[in-house]
Amino acid sequence: MATQRTTRQKETRRHLLIYAGLTPFVLIAVFPIYWMLITAFKQEPDLYRMGNIPFWFNLPPTLKNFSILFYQTHFGDWIINTMTISAWVALITLLTAVPAGYALARLRLPGAENIGIAIFMTYLVPGIILFLPLSRVVATLGLQDSWWALVLVYPTFTIPFCTWLMMGFFKTVPMEMEEAARVDGCGQLGAFLRVVLPVSVPGVLTSVIFAFTLSMQDFLYGLAFVSPGDQKPVPVGVPTELIRGDVYFWGSLMGAALLVGLPVAVLYNFFLDRFIQGITGGVVK
Amino acid sequence: MTTASLRGGPEPTARAAVVSAPAPTAERAWWGTHSAQRKIFGYTLLAPAALYVLLLVGAPFLFSLWLAVSDANVGDPVARFIGLENFRAAWEMDTFWIAMRNSVVFLVVAAIFKSLLGTSLAFLLLQNFRGKKLIRGLVVIPFTLPIAISVLSWKWMYDSQFSVINWVLSRLGLIGTYGSDSWPIWLGQPHLALAACIAVNVWRTFPFSAIVLLAGFTSVPLEVIDAAKVDGCSFFQRFRHVVVPMIFPILMIGLLFDTVFTLSDLSVVYLLTQGGPGNASKILPVLAYQIGIQAGNLGRGAAIALFLVPLLLPALFLVLRNLKRREY
Repeated sequence: MATQRTTRQKETRRHLLIYAGLTPFVLIAVFPIYWMLITAFKQEPDLYRMGNIPFWFNLPPTLKNFSILFYQTHFGDWIINTMTISAWVALITLLTAVPAGYALARLRLPGAENIGIAIFMTYLVPGIILFLPLSRVVATLGLQDSWWALVLVYPTFTIPFCTWLMMGFFKTVPMEMEEAARVDGCGQLGAFLRVVLPVSVPGVLTSVIFAFTLSMQDFLYGLAFVSPGDQKPVPVGVPTELIRGDVYFWGSLMGAALLVGLPVAVLYNFFLDRFIQGITGGVVK
Repeated sequence: MTTASLRGGPEPTARAAVVSAPAPTAERAWWGTHSAQRKIFGYTLLAPAALYVLLLVGAPFLFSLWLAVSDANVGDPVARFIGLENFRAAWEMDTFWIAMRNSVVFLVVAAIFKSLLGTSLAFLLLQNFRGKKLIRGLVVIPFTLPIAISVLSWKWMYDSQFSVINWVLSRLGLIGTYGSDSWPIWLGQPHLALAACIAVNVWRTFPFSAIVLLAGFTSVPLEVIDAAKVDGCSFFQRFRHVVVPMIFPILMIGLLFDTVFTLSDLSVVYLLTQGGPGNASKILPVLAYQIGIQAGNLGRGAAIALFLVPLLLPALFLVLRNLKRREY
């Protein structure tokens, strides 16, 4: 009995210590999001009363900031732009990265490993080196000042990453499945499309998610290639269009940040381990 | 048979015949075999991705080398070769050196803080406790938020008058009230602006350091640690001689990715301060953007961006070496 109690006490003490250690990290990580949330629902005078405690509502909460966002800005357009861009980017990425990943992982091509590494390395060529030449490419194709420019350039980072991801994924599918399919009379393409691809749906979905979340992380290309207000994707439109000179509509800004940021953060959260596995390239088994 | 062929092998024509005679069959065999079909099929599947990357990453990279040695600008479509003039001009620019210094300071200071925070967090998350998944999910939020979006929240928290950070500091009695000398204007004071930008980078990436480290720690098999324990190693010996060498590769990769992302990211500084006040927080990417796009001097901008390459090269090299070790 006594020993049981002491072990339980020990366990409680250990938990308390760990929670105490984690509290500052959680606070640091979450506070800016909390601050967005509370600001987005505050009335404007409530933001500027330094006499009150700012962490809670001193005036009744309001939805006015959101109505401004949807009725007086291009916010709706930006969301539609972002969704359309992401859909195109995901489509381009799937059509290129999935077959490439399959070829590199399964078909024992000479030089497959080096080609795979070379493609992945391009993920590491930073946008800041590419954006000036790409601005010329975009201008030559007549895509400047339209979100189509982004459909063209976003795959430059989603294809390398997703090819690498799919390579890793296809390696986990048992070889016997294809062999069985071939014995049953499937051609190479048939084996890929009808047997391997259906069991790879989770991997393909992961690629779609990354085509979306990685596109959302971009700021530079959107800033450099698209200037008309109604053509921007959300992550670029919000910080560049909602600020006019020195006037900040903090309520609406934070509302927009929240509406865009939270869904992406939640989605990304579920796939974070895949991302880490992806970039550490199988060093971790 | 001629004498020539006796002495020196077949005559040229005959030699050609010898070489080419089996060729048609070999070729037919090459096309016909299973492995050949596989290769053609494979390279066909590979081609779209490879082409996309070659055309929109490879070619632009080479093009940026050309831009850097030309006088290309937005207004004039015809660029002329001007040698190393752009590099020389950048080299002689005070702003360039300020940006270079700020970039290096940014990288190093941020790396120190995020590795300290990341390591402590990783050790905490390594423990078993209730609610671990939830807490992990909360802690990684900064990394998963779109960067331009989270910077906005920080811009509001750094507001010159209504900063919540200052509100707390003021209530704690650490600083005076608004308007007093001790009231920090985070984004408006030269010595604070760069620090404020670094803080946002650290906030955003310490979860990444922690998760990478955690992935490294959990990849060390328990048996290895137990074996070391049995052999009488102390905790620090185990850590120093067993854990560290085993997680070293992943540690390097995490660090190097972070180097690339931190050095080349312009959004934090651009959105918070635009490099100001003056040039106090200007970093190379912001300078390259301002000269290349805003001033329209593509050549000069490309040259400045290329100055990042020597900083990135060691990182790229090490990543490459580590990727080569990837096991199949």
